[in-house]
Amino acid sequence: MERYDLVIIGAGPAGLSAAIEAARCGMNIAVYDENKRPGGQLFKQIHKFFGSKEHHAKERGFHIGEELLAEADRLGVDVSLDTVVTGLYPGNEVMIKKGGQVSHVRGDTVLLAAGASENMAPFDGWTLPGVIGAGAAQTMMNLHGIRPGSRVLMLGSGNVGLVVSYQLLQAGCEVAAVVDAAPKIGGYGVHAAKLARCGVPFQLSSTIVRAKGGDHVEGAVIGRMDEHGKIIPGSETEIDCDTICIAVGLSPMNQLARMSGCRMEQNPKKGGCVPVCNEYGETSVRGLFAAGDAEGIEEASSAMIEGRIAGIACANRLGFLEDGKAKEAVESNEQALDTLRQGMFAPKNRGKQIEKTDEGFPVSQHLLVTGFLGDDEVEVYPGVTHPKGLHPVIECTQNIPCNPCQDACPHGCIHIGSFITALPAVEASAECIGCGRCVASCSGQAIFLVNEDIGGGYASVTMPYEFMPLPEKGDIGLACSRDGQAIGEAEVLDVKSVKAFDHTNLLTIRVPAELSGKARFYKAAQQ
Amino acid sequence: MTQITDRSMRTAAFKPEADDDMLICRCEEITKGEIRRAVYEGMYEITEIRRWLRVGMGLCQGQTCTKLVQRIVAKELGVSPAQLESAAARGPVRPIEMACMGNEKGGVC
Amino acid sequence: MKTTSDVLIIGSGINGSAAAYYLAKSGVDVTVLEGASVIGGGGSSRNGGGVRQSGRDSRELPYVMWGIENLWPTLSEELDADTEYTQKGNLRLGKTQAHLDKLAQLAQSAGKVGLDVRMIDAMEAREINPYLSEEVAGASWCPTDGHANPLKTTLAFYRAARRLGARFYTNAIVERIEKVHGRARKVVLKNGMVFEADCIIVAAGYASRKIVNSVGIDVPMDLKVSETLVTETQPHMFDQMLGTAAADFYGHQTKDGSFVFGGSAGYDQFVRHDETTFSTPPASSLHGPCICRAVTGYFPSLEHAKIIRCWGGWTDLCADGVPVISPVDEVPGLILACAFTGHGFGSGPVVGLMLAQMARGEETVVDLSALRYDRFAAKDKKNKKAA
Repeated sequence: MERYDLVIIGAGPAGLSAAIEAARCGMNIAVYDENKRPGGQLFKQIHKFFGSKEHHAKERGFHIGEELLAEADRLGVDVSLDTVVTGLYPGNEVMIKKGGQVSHVRGDTVLLAAGASENMAPFDGWTLPGVIGAGAAQTMMNLHGIRPGSRVLMLGSGNVGLVVSYQLLQAGCEVAAVVDAAPKIGGYGVHAAKLARCGVPFQLSSTIVRAKGGDHVEGAVIGRMDEHGKIIPGSETEIDCDTICIAVGLSPMNQLARMSGCRMEQNPKKGGCVPVCNEYGETSVRGLFAAGDAEGIEEASSAMIEGRIAGIACANRLGFLEDGKAKEAVESNEQALDTLRQGMFAPKNRGKQIEKTDEGFPVSQHLLVTGFLGDDEVEVYPGVTHPKGLHPVIECTQNIPCNPCQDACPHGCIHIGSFITALPAVEASAECIGCGRCVASCSGQAIFLVNEDIGGGYASVTMPYEFMPLPEKGDIGLACSRDGQAIGEAEVLDVKSVKAFDHTNLLTIRVPAELSGKARFYKAAQQ
Repeated sequence: MTQITDRSMRTAAFKPEADDDMLICRCEEITKGEIRRAVYEGMYEITEIRRWLRVGMGLCQGQTCTKLVQRIVAKELGVSPAQLESAAARGPVRPIEMACMGNEKGGVC
Repeated sequence: MKTTSDVLIIGSGINGSAAAYYLAKSGVDVTVLEGASVIGGGGSSRNGGGVRQSGRDSRELPYVMWGIENLWPTLSEELDADTEYTQKGNLRLGKTQAHLDKLAQLAQSAGKVGLDVRMIDAMEAREINPYLSEEVAGASWCPTDGHANPLKTTLAFYRAARRLGARFYTNAIVERIEKVHGRARKVVLKNGMVFEADCIIVAAGYASRKIVNSVGIDVPMDLKVSETLVTETQPHMFDQMLGTAAADFYGHQTKDGSFVFGGSAGYDQFVRHDETTFSTPPASSLHGPCICRAVTGYFPSLEHAKIIRCWGGWTDLCADGVPVISPVDEVPGLILACAFTGHGFGSGPVVGLMLAQMARGEETVVDLSALRYDRFAAKDKKNKKAA
């Protein structure tokens, strides 16, 4: 039988990372992916990632995918695309289908990195055309350039729901609302804030009662839920939409693991039924490893590190990497993984009510419920100060593992410290030169440059802007508050597009001075 | 599971619910009401529900509905969905034409 | 939890569940113990659904024919569930003269027991089933054979028995049977629980062997894996049950349109197994492709049908190819039904009925003396007997 040192199932972030580590050690590897292109979900991710440098923070997902592929290529990893793994049999035998043929291959080690599938939420009419998974919407928009609909209702306020809603806006769709059965927004506050300032409303403790329409979605009825999850009679409202996006979580792809006979567990924290793995990702079947979403739903950044650890462990198992070196490499990766698993959204904190940040600041409940920070609330955070002249205002109020802003400022205006989840603070002593690097580096688009007094009763606000068409210098439009309401006239003073900012444009507007702490978005005047 | 399971225990009398007509398994067109009734009739295991109703036996092999079915069954039995055993997974993981599956390179174990 | 009853049945497969149904229906207090977590999870739900007489040993034919005549036609009504029973005949296909000779021989011996089965030529076979390939040289044809849905039939017996008050316990792994005052009386579970009954029916597939070993009884049987594949739903093509002289596949099209085909790659008796794989055998990557090649050889038009699932099950293979269905005289109160050798589904209803009759001390509808537990003699003695 055709035999490899390592057979990797799935060429997404986990699989490719494992392949890279294993190839570095000189292993003979086969990587299979059923898709026409490698990279898994990375190539759909047009937003910038969180984390620190080692996690590719502030890079857009598809760029990370390109880098992974280039590196795999350099190391001679051959990814077999359009190749379906149809089964996993005793003795780590893998059956593959390519073209019109099936064949059998065996790996001394096998890595399951097949990713995840989207969960569905049943409601009356959920099978109507126009009800789609959020991931599917992302595929349509970001891979195929197709707008999934014109007015979209998003079910689910986790990071996927928030990120995809924003991408829908970027693609030119309207987002009618983000609905979630939970009483609080599930994803990062900064992602929610991006939507809120574009005017997208959040409807929490609510769910879709039914999708309306004959042969496609023509609207939705949503209702508020009581504490038992029952719809409160009379609370139903109609929402005009032609598309309903479902973002209610992912399930690990587990058929191959289950087929292999390895020990499985139902683990809600990992998104469902997953193989029980040790710290290297090895299952109860010797030589069979799992990494990425297939091992437990998490971010792509964690998937890459898990993949690396599994790759190193496979190399060590087969004598391609000596114990000492393997231990060292695993440890440094585990550290990186551990950093990502910190903060209030860490897997260990799922379902916990967190009232205070690590620093002791109150967590904005307003943000968790409405998607935006109250005008007064924002004042307590260490990123919000009011010095004279130009200065950064950092509306980053939750402990999340991310620190590129600290490195972005050449003058040391921003301080996070060594603990990556700490809230960024503005250093009073440092001088802001208005370069805007911090604004562009913030994956959460939560940094603004403000000059509260530019003379004549005006202030200037510089904000990240990722919509087309780009406003032009001299345009007169509307300044919007954090909740997306038009609060005054704004004149575009400057639009800065720099290659290094990677498509995050810096838009500077002039607003009446009293709006300096409120104006956080710009809308072109009504056509 | 070491505890033996009494299949004769009766859940409360079957009560129809408003959303019983809702489709759960799209491939085989099985409704929530049919699943609830199967539990009431003694099908306590996901595997039995599958065999009795064909839930999750269609083209997608339960990739879409498994969690939904688990939730419904768990609620009827008054247990947590995590306590339910998943059905056995079988190849092929993706549908594959007979001509292709029969066209085998090698084929020696 | 009630631990005493009139009759205790070990095994909830089609034989055990059907026996429970017929006993409960006649007012007998019955309890079923199932070692697995799932009802009927053994061969009863892992077979091709054949309800056939042709191709069977003459020792099995009488009761199988009785079941097809008397039970199957009304079983769906009886159980208030659609068993998908379809009685549209059975084609056993041959491609070579040797195949046809083998089929003719089987047909002849079945004919002697009164079964309507005859040889037909390729042209007549194609009139019955126009999708057959040119390779088919002839067939045996039994018009009263058919097929049913084994998953639904087994669970329907369970459901109906349960409705009548039969108690079922799953995850109830039987460790041994114990005698009290010379009769089989107690059943001790692995977890230490003890059940008692006046009569104990063991119908637990291969697991029966270890259970009856505890009272000094053995049946020469072995495990063999059998694998089946199912296609996505296809437009309706034909209703017959299919088999082949070459035994390279068997199967039928189900009511929902999918095809179910069984077969093996030839190593079915040598599949590795241990305790953990006892209910679900490890799949072999060779079976599926092998069955596909066999099927498309007879039915070229199915080459684009997509396989959506393969599954396997254990067959409790008897040394002489037919089951043991018998009271165990030397252990009064014990009845044994096992070693069905892969063709126990179609006979399930009548076997259940007869087990119920034995438990009640009645005559069975058909004489079963050829299937006694103590029929296994040394080969030299058997030869003498035959002479």
